[in-house]
Amino acid sequence: MRIRNKTQLAETLETCRPALLDNPNILKALLAIQSARGYVPTNAIPQIAQVLGVTEAQVAGVLSYYSDLRTQPPGRHLIRVCMGESCMANYGARVFRAIQEYVRMTVGDPTQAKRFTVEQMSCAGNCALSPTVMIDADLYGRVTPSGVPSLLEPYR
Amino acid sequence: MAAARSLSPEAIVEELRISRLRGRGGAAFPVWKKWQVAQRIRSEQKYVVANADEGDAGTYCDRMIMEGDPFRLIEGMLVCARAIGATRGYIYCRYEYPAAARAMRFAIQKAREADLLDSDDYSFDLEVVSGAGSYVCGEETALLESLEGRRGVVLAKPPYPAESGLYGKPTIVSNVLTFATIPNILANGGAWHASLGTEGSRGTMAVQLGGRVKQPGLIEIPFGLTLRDILDRFGGGMAAGSRFKAVQIGGPLGSLFPESQLDIPICYDAFAEAGAILGHGGIVVYDHETDMVELARHFMAFTADESCGKCTPCRIGSVRGREILERIQSGQGTAEDLFLLSDLGETMKATSLCALGGRAPYPVLTAIEHFPNEFRSKLSAFSSQQ
Repeated sequence: MRIRNKTQLAETLETCRPALLDNPNILKALLAIQSARGYVPTNAIPQIAQVLGVTEAQVAGVLSYYSDLRTQPPGRHLIRVCMGESCMANYGARVFRAIQEYVRMTVGDPTQAKRFTVEQMSCAGNCALSPTVMIDADLYGRVTPSGVPSLLEPYR
Repeated sequence: MAAARSLSPEAIVEELRISRLRGRGGAAFPVWKKWQVAQRIRSEQKYVVANADEGDAGTYCDRMIMEGDPFRLIEGMLVCARAIGATRGYIYCRYEYPAAARAMRFAIQKAREADLLDSDDYSFDLEVVSGAGSYVCGEETALLESLEGRRGVVLAKPPYPAESGLYGKPTIVSNVLTFATIPNILANGGAWHASLGTEGSRGTMAVQLGGRVKQPGLIEIPFGLTLRDILDRFGGGMAAGSRFKAVQIGGPLGSLFPESQLDIPICYDAFAEAGAILGHGGIVVYDHETDMVELARHFMAFTADESCGKCTPCRIGSVRGREILERIQSGQGTAEDLFLLSDLGETMKATSLCALGGRAPYPVLTAIEHFPNEFRSKLSAFSSQQ
């Protein structure tokens, strides 16, 4: 598995290698790696720097700057609860607590391990349907705390 | 675009001057001035960049345009490219909008197949680029840094991007809504656009109503309607069981308005006079259950999270501001903390490099100004006598 991951990383990186005279684009490369692997492993920083022709510090700097770049593998499903103003006004914090509670209840069950990663996001742009929860690429509006179990149930 | 083809680049800029269109992203800079600067500079490469990093919480009209009418944005960018002589364009789309990015890529593909991006006398290469969750990348210099793949750090201006932007070349960075307004201006003429709205704010504004109103949604209004009009006529009043407490306009950096100030007209001048901003047109209504101290803390924490770290007032000030508010929240604040907060706010307003640090104190200070008792009641007993 490790080896496969390594070749996969090299392949992804190869598509990001800047052409002669072109400027390397660190962010683009990191996003490509994340979309292929789900996260950017920090131990790949030297390899990334080498392919792009930049310093390791530059790669680490970009990786740590952007909040949507992750250095740990997420769970099978990524739950992002919107904490924008409109969702705040519509009691989004209660939805967040209900989701945390649901996820905590399922933690003891080994089949549920790595099922969810729960995060807050700053705005999903779904403000007319607040409060909003984004699960993977799916957007859900008007979420209520009591509706959380049935919302998460299909995401196995 | 048909109208633009019959016009010279100078005539396009002239039409925009007549229209008196101002940038819709937040800074409200006259669009024609920017274009003229880029047009007059001779350079072998120029760029057009659409700012689709719609980071203001409470705003979503850019997302609606990209998902619902992507060709309008492409057309606006093509007109700009023709006016300034650019051959490459980028749409910098935030990471949170995967559906919008998909819709834009599909629309660009269709436009290319229909030979709309290339013809005998021009060619335009357009690409969607994804951000990665940084609010400050909505600021144009930070956006260009991010587009080049670096940390999205704000740069001092001048030089302005119109002179020296992406890779040091003349670059027009405008909001999605600004570009999307341009096809209508060219089709109907600049005078048509200038006939709408108020003296300093011509045309229409897309306002995005959210929060505790009965009927939230996206509405396009001519400038000049009052805030109360919008909340009552379009918002349908408060949601069931909610009583009005405050309304915030202009995203997380926008001022809060109490009931007594709802008669302010929606236009740049009136808002500037009130020390507020229209920003990108997000309007969020808070109800009686909202805890103003917690809300103020949320805003400072947001700035502390999103500060790019380049300038000290924003980087340090936002963290100190958050700490003071947390102290008040925990019941250990003193009256001095409120003075300290206002002093800190004035410093951040005056000395920050960009609008993030410069505007961050506004929602906090207006919360204290309009709801002083909520803050005072949380101060520690020792100081409440002062």
